[in-house]
Amino acid sequence: MKATDTIRFENVSKFYGEVLGVNRITLTLSPGITTLVGPNGSGKTTLMNLMTGLVQPSRGTVSVLGLPPSNATEFFCNLGYCAQFDSFPRGVTGFQFVLDSLMLFGMSEEDALHLTVEALERVQLDGEAAHRRIAGYSKGMRQKIRLAQAIAHHPRVLVLDEPLNGLDPMARAESLALFQELGRQGMHVVISSHILDEVDRVSDRVVLITGGYLIAQGNIHEVRQEVRDKPMQVLIRCDSPELLASKMFSVNHCVEARLHADGRGVFLRTGDIDQFYRLLNEIAVEGLVKIDAVAPADDDANAIYQYLIGSDGSPS
Amino acid sequence: MSVFLHDYRPYNGRLTSLWRRPLVLARYGMAEAWSSKITVGLFVLALLPIVVELVIVYLANNPIARALILRGNPVLTINESFFLSVLEIQCWLALVLTSWIAPRLVSFDLSDNALCILLSHPISRFGYLLGKFLALIAALSFITWIPCLALFVYQSYVSAQPWALDHLQLAVGIFVGAALWIALLSLVGLAVSAWVKWRIIATGAIFAVVFVPAGVGGIANAILRTKWGLLLNVPVVMTEIWQRLLGAPAFMNPRLELPNGAMAAALVVATLMCVAVLNARIRAREVVRG
Repeated sequence: MKATDTIRFENVSKFYGEVLGVNRITLTLSPGITTLVGPNGSGKTTLMNLMTGLVQPSRGTVSVLGLPPSNATEFFCNLGYCAQFDSFPRGVTGFQFVLDSLMLFGMSEEDALHLTVEALERVQLDGEAAHRRIAGYSKGMRQKIRLAQAIAHHPRVLVLDEPLNGLDPMARAESLALFQELGRQGMHVVISSHILDEVDRVSDRVVLITGGYLIAQGNIHEVRQEVRDKPMQVLIRCDSPELLASKMFSVNHCVEARLHADGRGVFLRTGDIDQFYRLLNEIAVEGLVKIDAVAPADDDANAIYQYLIGSDGSPS
Repeated sequence: MSVFLHDYRPYNGRLTSLWRRPLVLARYGMAEAWSSKITVGLFVLALLPIVVELVIVYLANNPIARALILRGNPVLTINESFFLSVLEIQCWLALVLTSWIAPRLVSFDLSDNALCILLSHPISRFGYLLGKFLALIAALSFITWIPCLALFVYQSYVSAQPWALDHLQLAVGIFVGAALWIALLSLVGLAVSAWVKWRIIATGAIFAVVFVPAGVGGIANAILRTKWGLLLNVPVVMTEIWQRLLGAPAFMNPRLELPNGAMAAALVVATLMCVAVLNARIRAREVVRG
């Protein structure tokens, strides 16, 4: 993929005095939804600040769509940033906040008005609320207005630091649907979130980071398969789970079996997923067990987080 | 893996020039400053002396009034000294207004973490400060050089003899003298606002920055038996600058007069100190030191 289509970190380190932000990060992000996963203080926000040009790397280079942060006008016009802080200039209305933001991007008042209305519609913030002061907004409305500000100028890269915090389930679902839509349109959407279960469903890839170091990156399923020292867990829905479990235990790569609470399925853990699926095919062909569904049970960002970063660095 | 349609269309309309963008922030600053009724009160108060001086100019130029009321009182002669006192009054009132407006301009953005949002736009830290600086300059202009020049224009209009051309230095002096002062005040105000979070303390700090060095300079003068401590005395330095710019008679003992170069250097050093403070404080993120 061309440099003009990707976000690139080349051997990037960032130190705040003696404190390590991130160290020797080499990363290429292609269009789609990327989730940054890591415990508090792992360097996610530093990575986002580097991506958005808010901090300069101590070493290495960062380029977004082939643009260095020093090319401020073009760089920032291609980038939308939604900070994690619940912060706004005081006294402004939601509408004014988005409008002024667009004028800071250099748009004429006419274009800015048009784009403001479009962005507010996109985040589903109604006109009456938009003309009220942000100070009187609920947390969910504040998130929406921040998101509107980030997408209003039609950036090609959207960096969202904890965008789901404070949103109710309905608003979270709407936001995720919007991220998915933007990702499908070929936009870069980089999300840092602790609500792993939900971002997991929409992410094309994850970037795991802890202690300032990059631990893993790539498609969630691929990353999970790379974690070979942790047996993979698979849920199999079938008519006789006990029989299936006993058959599976005849091979030595199957290390754990646990019946599903409803008695119509079994969780199996295996150290060799390829062998496991081959054996499962054979059992299905034999016809002794009627298999309804097979699904990985720990093939998600949450499990990868637990396996690679561990419970000590539990998300908060 | 998603199937990317690649139909996202970035904005490709025309962009305004870079210099217009800080004006958005200037508008924020103005809105913040004028949202307080105290600001309006101080502004009105700062214009009251101009009304009195307007009456004085009228009386001084009206032969009947001169004869009946003033009886040729020489105190009311409209000359360089009159405009020097007008400028001094307005400039010290500008200090009062700055101490009320400036403390919230930057400190609010810092305490609200709004800087990272503002600086993720194509606007630099310099552009951000320029916006805030312009907000202060605009507010202070309305109580310093603008009313002073309006008074100059009125005096030119009511004077029986051709007056304006003979006193052009006054107009230039008023503008340059006031511009120097409000620029310095704005920088001091922004630097204090960037450093001090609480308004009351910041207001006191602005007065302290102007008056405390004068005391230090006085002590230095007494101990070292020199005049150079006067360079720390902002009221003296500024009054000397205004007096020379307006061509008014000297008010200091000639032995204690300061050279122009030394006063200019003092102003440059003060400016650089403010810029250093702002450079240290205006960042897109907080540095957390473990």
